[in-house]
Amino acid sequence: MKKKTSDSLLGMAFFGPALVLLTVFLFLPMLLTLIFSFTDFFALNPALTHFTGLDNYFQILKDEDFRQAFFNTVQFVIIIVPLQGLGALGMALLINRVTYCKKYFKVAFFVPVVMSLAVVSTLWIQIYSPEGILNSLLSLFGIPAQPFINSAGQALPSIAVMSAWQGVGYQMIIFLGGLQAINPALYEAADMDHATPWQKFKDITLPELKPLCVFVFITITIGAFRMLVQPMVMTGGGPSHSTYTVVYDIYETGTVNWEIGLASTMAIIFAFFVMILTIIQTVLTSDKEDKHADKKTKAK
Amino acid sequence: MKKKKTAALLFSAIAVSVLTGCGRKEPSPGDIAGYDDGEQYLSIWVHSIEDTEEGQCYRKSVDAFNELYDGTYFADIEFVPRNDSGGGYSDKINASVMSGGLPDVLTVDGPNIAAYASNGIIQPLAGLTEEERSVYLPSIIDQGTYDHKLYALGAMESSVGLYYNKEILAEAGVTVPDTEHPWTFSEFLEILGKVKPVTDAKNGYAIDMTFPVGEATIYYYAPFFWSNGGDFIDESGLNAEGVLNSPENLETLQYFKQILENGYMSPVKITDLFESGRAAFKFDGAWEVNTIYSSYPDISLGVAPYIVSDHWDGGRYTPTGSWAFAASSATEHLEGATRLVQYMSGVESGKRLWEESRSFPSTYEAFNSSPIFQEDENYNALYKQLSNYGHPRSKTPVYPQVSASVQSILENVVLTGMDAQTELDQSIERINAKLKRYRADE
Repeated sequence: MKKKTSDSLLGMAFFGPALVLLTVFLFLPMLLTLIFSFTDFFALNPALTHFTGLDNYFQILKDEDFRQAFFNTVQFVIIIVPLQGLGALGMALLINRVTYCKKYFKVAFFVPVVMSLAVVSTLWIQIYSPEGILNSLLSLFGIPAQPFINSAGQALPSIAVMSAWQGVGYQMIIFLGGLQAINPALYEAADMDHATPWQKFKDITLPELKPLCVFVFITITIGAFRMLVQPMVMTGGGPSHSTYTVVYDIYETGTVNWEIGLASTMAIIFAFFVMILTIIQTVLTSDKEDKHADKKTKAK
Repeated sequence: MKKKKTAALLFSAIAVSVLTGCGRKEPSPGDIAGYDDGEQYLSIWVHSIEDTEEGQCYRKSVDAFNELYDGTYFADIEFVPRNDSGGGYSDKINASVMSGGLPDVLTVDGPNIAAYASNGIIQPLAGLTEEERSVYLPSIIDQGTYDHKLYALGAMESSVGLYYNKEILAEAGVTVPDTEHPWTFSEFLEILGKVKPVTDAKNGYAIDMTFPVGEATIYYYAPFFWSNGGDFIDESGLNAEGVLNSPENLETLQYFKQILENGYMSPVKITDLFESGRAAFKFDGAWEVNTIYSSYPDISLGVAPYIVSDHWDGGRYTPTGSWAFAASSATEHLEGATRLVQYMSGVESGKRLWEESRSFPSTYEAFNSSPIFQEDENYNALYKQLSNYGHPRSKTPVYPQVSASVQSILENVVLTGMDAQTELDQSIERINAKLKRYRADE
């Protein structure tokens, strides 16, 4: 008993500082955000704060900028999740087969992940510029110069492609680890049964990677929802608000227009949405996994 | 066991003291070198880091102030870093508004003076004599005045010039008018038509013009609206209806569209179009002169008077404004704070800022003491434009919304081709939403 108490005390001593820091910098701000979301808190004049009930929520849902930001963000997620997820898987499969200069490819594809997003964005402004390297390349094939980040239609997809390029190396490494962990005996057995490469991929590689896929897709989704730096550096949310994201809107509302109350409401609505989406994603994918596990046991 | 308990307590104690030990306390005489008994302590925040040329100027000005007022006042400067959009510094001010701890004197960006004043973050300066006011350019007094009271004084001033490439204009056979007779909108369209063949041959555009996100767009192009008799918000700063969506502004937007439709400007931003000698004209801040002189010596640069509408009444219309010093509402030493504001924005500080960081000063004497403003035709043209035609930015507590609206209107109407009337009306709705809190106070 005594040992137990001293153990838990020791545990608290180690855990305490982290708990204090987390409380002050994470849990309290979260709670405050929730409270502020029901007020008209204005940063320049906190003394005038009133409790306004659900007013902010109604106002935000009617706010056209927020709706557009929301739509843009969802659009960004829809483009980037398959692009980055499948891209990472494809690259991992290729690198796994490469026997020559494997390390080089791994490092080369991983380097953008280590670079700061602001730096990458600045670099891609040049690549995407009307007289930039990409347009010069296109002109070699007789394709006319594209406006990329300068047009309302192309800006968001352009930023999505750049973001996928920047982030794909990270997921690639995860997949590569997963691929190397697959028992080679499975492939040997498949070879004996004269399985085609596609059958091997479909029936061995993919099922074995499934748990990783869930992790990879959820992290890409959450990361994509938080998109802020790229439009801030590259387009300022333009042209015509086409790259204005929810997090950008929260930032502008809170720090530029000083409307902390409104910004808090946006943050709450947004967090709620992402949470629901993540739950749906988890439930959907875990269901399939269970079925898969059932099949396995039945087969046995 | 006891030891562990003590350790745990110690841990929490350290954590708590680290986390709560952020309050501000006034030092006593002797705590800081130079702060002596009998001196009034004055704290001051600036929006710059100490390592920059600008930061060094502030440091030297504070040191000079302390020397001048030795035995009376002691100013203690704190440098607060900020990012491009003003974050960092303004976050610190916002936090201090909430938790207390504002300094006696702080810097405010010109367009924020109205918001800070109407929310009681800064207070009117102690009375300045007519003589003390007259040392400043009228644009500085204008910028610092809100609700008929003087709140802030700028140490530096800026403007926007219509820059031109002398070689291209000579080739096109265009001569530039003097400050008193700027080109009108229609004349300028003709000029652009004349230079277009020359710039086309250089694979460029007649004018290097974009509508960047941020304060730049309203700052660069407001004179188009002002000289046409338009504005963005009325004098009270609380009403945009009928002002922003006036027929004059619709006309101005139409003019911008003509520039694009005639192919005089690029629909997308091309980096360094003017600086690489492929555009005849460009609107940019006064700092562009120094940029061209030091980084693009091959460009033969000229400054033309900022263009005006065909209906211009001769009134003030060119951009002005920069950061200014103000006394915070927290200060109990308004007299001392005012002296500090005056000194920091005064002649000596202005001269120093000009010499070391190439920011235009804010006083006549500082301009006159530097021969370059008489001898260099480009600096001279900008100085004349600033002192004769400088117009303050809109004074409204919701300036950030107004600025963002103007940028998005120009981008949407001119570049994307959206309907001007709809865009103006929608912007008014957005501005009204932000104005609600100020109107309720009435």
